[in-house]
Amino acid sequence: MPRKKKCVAMLLAGGQGSRLGVLTHQTAKPAIPFGGKYRIIDFPLSNCANSGIDVVGVLTQWQPLELNAYIGSGSPWDLDLSSGGVYVLPPYMKAGAGEWYSGTANAIYQNLAFIEQFNPDYVLILSGDHIYKMDYADMLAHHIQKEAAVTIAVRQVPWEECSRFGIMNTDTQGNIIEFEEKPANPKSNNASMGVYVFTWPKLRERLIADERDPNSNNDFGKNIIPTMLDDGERLTAYNFNGYWKDVGTIESLWDANMDLLQTPVPIDLHDRSWRIYARNIGMPPHYISPTGEVSGSLVTEGCLIHGSVRGSVLSAGVVVEEGAQVIDSVIMPSARIAKGAKVIRSIIAEEAVIEADCEVGEETGDITLIGNGTVVKAGDKVPAGQQVSREGSEV
Amino acid sequence: MKRDIVGLIYTGERIDQLRDLTRIRSVAALPVLGRYRMIDFMLSSMIHSEIHNIGIIMQKNYHSLMDHLGSGREWDLHGKRNGMTILPPYMSTDNVGVYEGLLDALRSNIGFLRRSKERYIAVTDSHFLYSVPYEKMLAHHIDQGADLTLLYTKERGVRRNGAGRYLEIDDEGTVRQMECDPSIPRYENTYMACFLVRRELLIDMVDRAVSAGYHHFTRELITNILRDKTYKISGFECPGSVWMMDSVESYFKANMDFLSAENRARIFDMDKPVWTKLRDEMPTHYKEGADVSNSLIADGCIIEGKVENAILFRGVQVKPGASVKNCIVMQDGIIQRNVELAYCILDKQVTVRENTRMMGPSGYPLVVPKGLTI
Repeated sequence: MPRKKKCVAMLLAGGQGSRLGVLTHQTAKPAIPFGGKYRIIDFPLSNCANSGIDVVGVLTQWQPLELNAYIGSGSPWDLDLSSGGVYVLPPYMKAGAGEWYSGTANAIYQNLAFIEQFNPDYVLILSGDHIYKMDYADMLAHHIQKEAAVTIAVRQVPWEECSRFGIMNTDTQGNIIEFEEKPANPKSNNASMGVYVFTWPKLRERLIADERDPNSNNDFGKNIIPTMLDDGERLTAYNFNGYWKDVGTIESLWDANMDLLQTPVPIDLHDRSWRIYARNIGMPPHYISPTGEVSGSLVTEGCLIHGSVRGSVLSAGVVVEEGAQVIDSVIMPSARIAKGAKVIRSIIAEEAVIEADCEVGEETGDITLIGNGTVVKAGDKVPAGQQVSREGSEV
Repeated sequence: MKRDIVGLIYTGERIDQLRDLTRIRSVAALPVLGRYRMIDFMLSSMIHSEIHNIGIIMQKNYHSLMDHLGSGREWDLHGKRNGMTILPPYMSTDNVGVYEGLLDALRSNIGFLRRSKERYIAVTDSHFLYSVPYEKMLAHHIDQGADLTLLYTKERGVRRNGAGRYLEIDDEGTVRQMECDPSIPRYENTYMACFLVRRELLIDMVDRAVSAGYHHFTRELITNILRDKTYKISGFECPGSVWMMDSVESYFKANMDFLSAENRARIFDMDKPVWTKLRDEMPTHYKEGADVSNSLIADGCIIEGKVENAILFRGVQVKPGASVKNCIVMQDGIIQRNVELAYCILDKQVTVRENTRMMGPSGYPLVVPKGLTI
């Protein structure tokens, strides 16, 4: 019988992430490589580890193989523990029924029994598509101090972007008095970060009621939060001022990678006091040859650079051959850019091959995307905004 | 599949010619190739040969080695049934605490030899950098009907006048003679301080050698076996390349050899990773103005200056206007603005202040000890 925990984290990692196009055909969004060495899920998992939260349930559904293998025993995040750790929670068959996770709230509902094993006082709900460093312990302290039923992490976003977010309107005490999903005329610019702390008995009760409601979408943002607000529960906002980026689209994934190249850097991954941990791949240091040129870029283990790399983020085992140019791009693990090829403003996914003299992407326009394992044939041109996968191309 | 071999790594005495590099650490803990320590290569050879029980005999200065190995998790040696056994020195009637040679070390750790269950044991010292398939060495040992099989190489780079062990091997592959520290070696086969033997037989050999008052495995025990022909000793040629770390010069040259793709391919195999302790560093950041050529660079560096023919370990910073040529800079070195370095080996956590110039002679690189600020 597991021991009682004050707080258990549940990480929603089951969505397809269809806005990431061909990147998520074979891979769950949280398993997508980021920043040269990481996967998106390293950020919430490392935040949990650094915040002292040692039970993390990861709810998976879409293409979980790579994600499951990546999480493994949880040792990279010190989450391989006797009294807790990381648990991968796919949907499963139950007596009489068994169904897919139909929404974020339903996913938690289907794992009530998992959470109850730990008899927690609080449950932290996280999602697997944001890049940020956050002390959840501080948010939990805020929640306890405010005696709230729910605390929602919010951050100020530019007014013109409010229509993309759930906006929280608060009173002077920081209590949430109104919630607007993607408002056209926002009253405030406090956007929900999709990070919630619930007092567990309150959430439990809500999840059971929500499940009985045939008209509900079983979603936190659409159903659980608005109903609690309507019923007069105390909802409080927790202001977060650090770097936070949703990487749910090709454009924002590329942007967030580029942010790592800025000076001063908006999210410091060198910071020893808040390490972001990742699974180790065991490759030797990278090599820059006499013909190689690298500037304004991140390069990691196992890379071989014989060509020119500018303003780019390269993951492990990437090969850039002589005469190839990589400019303002994100190159994922073990991709190869062959002789004379030019890659600009693009994302090249894992193990893709850009053959000799190709031109991928353009200086202006949308980001170009080459999917996992895709081979772009010698001499081909792939224009701005095009997505190419093993199955073919789409715009 | 598990191989019927237990591994034993002797982490070695200090080698005086390595000067300050081994003043604070054993040879096995010597940092090499940007992110490794020597022992990582010994462990990798064993692990990739399916040897999953490995004893590590510690000598003096073993703190950095203990710190490096931790629970053995990075090498998957933290299991219950198998794994890594650290054998630190201790004082007792059987253990002399300070080992004069490998034989002393084996005698003091005879308990580990007795407790192990595997039929064979592979023992290696740690100043050679190599990769050997022990399963092939074992097959050869059995084919030859040998009692003891010694690993050797014909590589000329590891021959030294006045030092080393050299083997005369006949056409059948049997070792006939061993030269110890000859002023000019006569035989072309250099013994790599690694052997394979039936475990029970080794226990027996150690017991007898100790009662005869020997301390040295090769100079006394093997030489006597060869003279008296008590056992059949066979040679197994290491199939890959071999480097030896026995002086600052050979250490420097060995590291620099890995700037060549052919040499890297000789040791690094995508399917057989060399594991090491993790630091969870972010990728290396090349800022605008970085100018790097022919260099091997680990994670966590921040490079704003010029780096040529160099090996940078994890977390090294090269500030604008600085130039680092033909150098090895170990972990967390900081090269301030307008510094000029050539033919230097900076040990860990060395800071070189602004506008400093430091040039070693090409054949005899300068060594800056750990933690110094110059």
